[in-house]
Amino acid sequence: MRMGMRMLTTILPLLSALLLLPPLQATTLARLSLDELAAASDAVARVRCAGTESRWERGSIWTVTTFDVMETLKGNLPAKIEVRLPGGRVGHLTATVDGTPRFVPGVEVILFLEKSRAGGFTVAGWVQGTFRISRDPRTHAEIVTQDSSAFAVFDTATGAFRAEGIRRMPVEEFRLRVIAAIVRSMEKSR
Amino acid sequence: MRINWREISPKSARVAIAFLFVSQLTVASTGAYDLGTTVGDMRQPASQSGGTSCPRLTRFDIATPGAVNRQWSTSLGTSPATILTTDQTATGQLNEIEAAIQESLAAWTSVAGSSLKASSLGALQRTSTVAACSPSDGLNSICLNQADAGFAIGVLAFTRVVSADTVGEQISSTTAPSAFVGQILDADVLLRPGDVNTKFATPSALAANPNAYDLESILTHELGHSFGFNHSGVWQAMMFPFAPPPGQFTGTRPVVQSPDAPLSDDDRTGLRVLYPDPTDSLHVGTISGHVLPANPLALPVSPAGVTGVFPAQVVALDNATGTVAAAVVAGWSCSDPGPLQFDGGFSIEKLTVGTSQSYQIYAEPLDGPITLGNVIYDLTSLCRNAGTDPGWPAQYGCTVPATAAPFSARLRPGP
Repeated sequence: MRMGMRMLTTILPLLSALLLLPPLQATTLARLSLDELAAASDAVARVRCAGTESRWERGSIWTVTTFDVMETLKGNLPAKIEVRLPGGRVGHLTATVDGTPRFVPGVEVILFLEKSRAGGFTVAGWVQGTFRISRDPRTHAEIVTQDSSAFAVFDTATGAFRAEGIRRMPVEEFRLRVIAAIVRSMEKSR
Repeated sequence: MRINWREISPKSARVAIAFLFVSQLTVASTGAYDLGTTVGDMRQPASQSGGTSCPRLTRFDIATPGAVNRQWSTSLGTSPATILTTDQTATGQLNEIEAAIQESLAAWTSVAGSSLKASSLGALQRTSTVAACSPSDGLNSICLNQADAGFAIGVLAFTRVVSADTVGEQISSTTAPSAFVGQILDADVLLRPGDVNTKFATPSALAANPNAYDLESILTHELGHSFGFNHSGVWQAMMFPFAPPPGQFTGTRPVVQSPDAPLSDDDRTGLRVLYPDPTDSLHVGTISGHVLPANPLALPVSPAGVTGVFPAQVVALDNATGTVAAAVVAGWSCSDPGPLQFDGGFSIEKLTVGTSQSYQIYAEPLDGPITLGNVIYDLTSLCRNAGTDPGWPAQYGCTVPATAAPFSARLRPGP
């Protein structure tokens, strides 16, 4: 019962927010639906961060994160993959690129991956294609939250904060949604 | 001065707090994380580290007029066209694009109460170099047609800002060394190449191309990053991560009388904090306080010493206009030489003062599994320690706490 109420209090504001929001596009990121992310990605996987390193490559600072692949939902992946994202800190210089996800060792995420021209993979849609896994502190169930939904938005009309995107969704429910989106994208491409 | 406390409910929490206005406080810096910050390298001598581990704002050195150089690459995609313009002549097309760039810059350099002025910037140069956005050349460039490997699906544009964590750092042999911790040494704006699905249009061409993104809105947002902004959680702000859909633009188009019209008050307040004008006597107010848990047992036990909610979004609403005057992502304070304390501290600075001026404060704990460092940037921009930086002095080290579980919270006023 408690879980049900929690889900309701989470989902209802989310649904209402989604219904009220105009179809925004980002200056940095074009908004991507789950279907679009699934269709555009070369691979989708649940991964665990094994390590991260920033370095100069081809005139820019990049952060290369190594992940252990736990489960592949789309594509074929080796047991370990590298994800390259622009930005990072090397020596006394920090290159900041707002909108890129960052990872620390041990963190588990579901990533929508795209082959990178810089080598390895990048994350499709950056923070939009990053879904962070944690445990609900009360129920201890695994939940997932999209990085791009981290900021609650303040609405002056209602004097309230509201969030966009996927927040605190049970991992299993999210996994099923992703698989369904992948299937739809494969059917479309036939 | 009066402040009421009211509990924040655990979800979509709202704290309506009665007006509070505190004249300029002199305490330590507190969280304003929608602006970029840098922690100086305390392993270096104080003359290089700045002598403090408190986060410093990331910004340009504008002490010398014209010090911030600028250029844009005239290399444009033609098949398909990267930028749609009304004027189809080669010269006219470049002039129209350059006018959009100039208007985007003027939005930021025209804010009253900020020392960032048009005279702070060098003349806008043109370059025909395609790959003009090197992050190591010390040139602040705008590249409109970049097949940069950093782009991913859905990324329309990004800005790469390179800053120093010591005094005396050089990004290239031809550029001056950094004069302070956090100085921006190179900031490049990159727009992805246009394709059948992604087009950009100048303001005059937008109406005829409703499927194109507004070039001016995108440039103004990205230039905000280049001046030191991170993303804002305020709906109407230029620095809100999401801009209008194709065919629409952010805010109001600039006019001669108000070239900063596209910006929101949140953007303007942030710019005043980044580049304060010492002669400004109107925007000198600060509201500060703490966001505290109703039950302190809800606070994380590790690291030790966490006494307030972190991170939390705090919003100051102007009672007269009903608009957001400013918002910060907060939850900490820091007194030189540091380290930073996670005491729930917030400070909203550079607010308009006046006898009829009043504000309401709203706060929202960011209680999800996502920490500040995941979404905004590197955790080391707030805290550094021997784990992140071998050899870091223990007395200046701090660790960003894990985001706490959902909890009720309350606000406490500042001193």
